[in-house]
Amino acid sequence: MNAQLDSIGDIGRPYAPPVHPLAGQVMTGADIVVQVLADEGLAVLFGYSGGAILPVYDAVFRFNEAHAGADGTDPMPLIVPANEQGACFMAAGYARASGKVGVALVTSGPGATNAVTPVRDSMADSIPLVVISGQVPCASIGTDAFQEAPISTIMGACAKHVFLVTDASTLEATLRTAFHIARSGRPGPVVVDIPKDVQNAPLVFQGERQLPVRGYRMRLEAVTSARLDNASCASFFDALGKARRPLIYAGGGVISAEASQALRKFAHAFGIPVTTTLMGIGGFDTTDPLALHMLGMHGTAYANYAMDDCDFVFALGARFDDRVVGVPDQFAPKARTIAQIDIDPAEIGKVKRVDWHHVGTLDLALDRLRRYGIEHGFAPLDDGRYAAWHTHIADLKRVHALDYQRDGDLIQPYAVIQAINRITEGKAIISTGVGQHQMWAAQYFDFREPRRWLTSGSMGTMGFGLPAAIGAQFARRDLTVIDIDGDASIRMNIGEMETVTTYNLPVKIVVMNNAGDGMVRQWQKLFFKGRFSASDKSLHKKDFVCAAKADGFEWAERLDDPARIEATIASFLAFDGPAFLEVVIDPDAGVYPMVGPGACYAQMITGDHIASRNERLPDATEPTGMF
Amino acid sequence: MRHLISILLQNEAGALARVAGLFAARGYNIESLTVAATHDADASRLSLTIFGDDAVVEQIIKQSRKLVDVLEIVELTRRNHVERELLVARVETGNEDLLALCLERHSARLLDRSDDSFIVEYTGRSEDVDRFVDALGATADVRDYARSGIAAIEQRVPLAV
Repeated sequence: MNAQLDSIGDIGRPYAPPVHPLAGQVMTGADIVVQVLADEGLAVLFGYSGGAILPVYDAVFRFNEAHAGADGTDPMPLIVPANEQGACFMAAGYARASGKVGVALVTSGPGATNAVTPVRDSMADSIPLVVISGQVPCASIGTDAFQEAPISTIMGACAKHVFLVTDASTLEATLRTAFHIARSGRPGPVVVDIPKDVQNAPLVFQGERQLPVRGYRMRLEAVTSARLDNASCASFFDALGKARRPLIYAGGGVISAEASQALRKFAHAFGIPVTTTLMGIGGFDTTDPLALHMLGMHGTAYANYAMDDCDFVFALGARFDDRVVGVPDQFAPKARTIAQIDIDPAEIGKVKRVDWHHVGTLDLALDRLRRYGIEHGFAPLDDGRYAAWHTHIADLKRVHALDYQRDGDLIQPYAVIQAINRITEGKAIISTGVGQHQMWAAQYFDFREPRRWLTSGSMGTMGFGLPAAIGAQFARRDLTVIDIDGDASIRMNIGEMETVTTYNLPVKIVVMNNAGDGMVRQWQKLFFKGRFSASDKSLHKKDFVCAAKADGFEWAERLDDPARIEATIASFLAFDGPAFLEVVIDPDAGVYPMVGPGACYAQMITGDHIASRNERLPDATEPTGMF
Repeated sequence: MRHLISILLQNEAGALARVAGLFAARGYNIESLTVAATHDADASRLSLTIFGDDAVVEQIIKQSRKLVDVLEIVELTRRNHVERELLVARVETGNEDLLALCLERHSARLLDRSDDSFIVEYTGRSEDVDRFVDALGATADVRDYARSGIAAIEQRVPLAV
C-alpha cells in the first residue's frame, strides 16, 4: 500500500548530515520515530500516552535517559496535557510562535480523534504540524479492536496529508516525508498513523531517504522555482502606476512565508498602505504610519473604508475569506486592478477574479517587484501620485478611529487590552480563544513583529488560547506570553490550567468574563431579536480565581473595579511565574465595527463610539442565511 | 455541464477516498468512476465523470491537484480524448434469433448462455451504451446489468504545423 522508495526520494534534506552517525544500526520502529524527531531538531514534544503508542513513549524515555543534559534535563521533554486536543494545540502554538514544525504524539482511537479539531484548525490556518498517532496492530485494523478508529479516513479529510504506515520498512522515509510535507509549500498538518506492531518491528536505521511523493514534489518545485519575468513585472507596474489609491491586503501567507521584511520594504519603497487579515496581523507593524490594522467583519472602520475607496488591491498570501470580503461582488468595488500573489495555485481567483497574479514564494516575488520598480524609475513618493491618497488615509484613521465608552462603573474590555499593551508595547505573544475577546485583542493590541499573534482564524476554535499559549511559551522562553481568553472559551480546555503550573510556565492568563458567549449574544441581539438561546452563563457557579488557585496559581485575582485596572495589570504582568487574572467586564460591550454576515462594507455598523461615514442604518433583526 | 476528469493517483491508503471526498464535500454526485492499475506500478488511473457548474468543478480540480497522492489531473472534456464504457447484461428471451440480430447490429457479444438466459457484453461511449440498453430491452427481457463506468484517455496531441 505504501509507495516504494526510489532515487527521487533523495531530494533535499537540509537537516540530515550526509551520513548519519547511526546509519546501519538496528532499531525498533519506535526508536526510529524518536531518532527522526531528534534529527528534526525538536526541542519539545506534546502528547498523551495510551496503549497503542506505548512503544514510542518508552523510546522517548530511553532517548532522554541516554542523552540527559549535565544538569539532568531532558533533551526532548514530553509535555503532558489534560487531553490530546490540548497537546495538539500546544504543538500548533509552538509552530505558530516559532515557524518550526510542532509535533504531538497521541494514542489510537480516542487519543487520535481528540486530535481531529486541532489538525483541522491547523489545516485551515496553514500551520505546520506533525501528529504521530498509535494505531492498533496491522492485523487488527478493521476489526473494531479496542481503541481503534479509522484515523487515515477521518484525518484524510482534515489534514494536508495522512500516512498509515502498514509496511514497517517505509516508516523512516515516511516520517521524514511527513515533516517535508508539513513545512513545504503552503504549510499544514500531516498525520502519521503507526500500528503498534510497526513500532515494535526491528528495522535498520538509514539516516536519510524520503518517499518519492512525485506529484507533490513536482508541483512544489514548479511553485518554488517560479520567478517573475520582466513582462510580468512591467504589467504589474503599468497597473500600479495608473492607480492613485493602491492598497495592500496582506494575509497569513506573509507570516508563513517569513515575508514581513519584504513586505515592509515594498510598502515603504512605494508608499502603499497595508491592511492585514486576522491571520496576517503582525505581518506588518501595526504602529507603522502605513498600517491600517485589520480589515473585514470586525476590521477597523478606516481599513474597511480604505478598501471601499481604493483603486488597486494587492493581495498577498490572502484568500478573500468570507469574513473579509462579505459579498464578493461588492468587495473593493472601485478597484480597477486586483493583483494577487500566493503559493497556492488554488487560491488564485478563487473568490474574486484577479487581473494579475503570480504563484510563487512571496518574499522573493516582493523583492523582485521592488527592485524592478526602483530600477525602472517608479517613484510615487517623489512624483506625489499617491499624495492625495495618503492624506485621505490619514483622515480616515483620525476620523474613524477605534473607540469605546470611556466612563461608567463597568470595566470596558478595550481599556484592559490597552493597559496591557502599554506595558508589552506590541512585543508580547498574544493568544486568544474565539469570540468577542478575540476580536478586541485583534483590534486593540499593537503587533510589531510576526508570530506574536496566535489565534484560531479560519476554524474559530474556542479553547485554542490556553494550550496555544503553553506551546508558544516552550518555543519562546524569552517572551511574555499572554492568553487573552473568554469565560466560555477557556472552559473548553480549562484542564490545561494545571499544565501551566505543572511545568511552571510564566504564562499570563486573562479571562474577560462577560458571563456567557458574548459574540453569540451579540448576533442574537442583532439578528434574533434578543432571544439569548443558550448563550447566558450568569447562573454558572464557577469561581475562576478559586479554580486557578486550585490548579496551583500563586497569582490569581479578580478585577472588577475600573479604577484598579492599571495597578492590577502592572502587578499581574510583573509576576515571575504563572499568573491568572479574571476581569469582570461590561456584559453589553460589543465588537464594533461590524460588517454583518452577507453584508458589504458600505453597510458596516460602527456602533455608538466610532464615527460612521454613512447614515446610521437600522439594525438588522431578521435571521440571515449567511453564517 | 458534464466533466470527464482523468487522475493519475499514487497507490496509497485512502488516496481514492480523499479524491472522492473533495467532490462529495461540494455535494456533487460522481456519475461514474473507474479506478485501475496503469503501466506505472505505483499509480492508478481514475476516470471520473460529474455534472456541475464549470467554475465550481474547476475549483475542485485545483483542490484535487493539491492532494499529495495526486500525480496528475486533467479535465479530458476540454481535450481530444476517447472514452469507452463496458456493459454486461443478463437477459432472458425465447427468441434467440432476434437477440442475435440485435447483438450483431450493435457489435455486441454473447458471453454466456443457459436455457433462455443470456449474458451479453457491449462496449462503447456512454450514450451508445444507453442506446444499446434500450435496444436490448426492446428485444429481450433485461433482468440485470452492470456498467463499468467510463475509462478514458487523452488522444495524442497533434503537432502544430
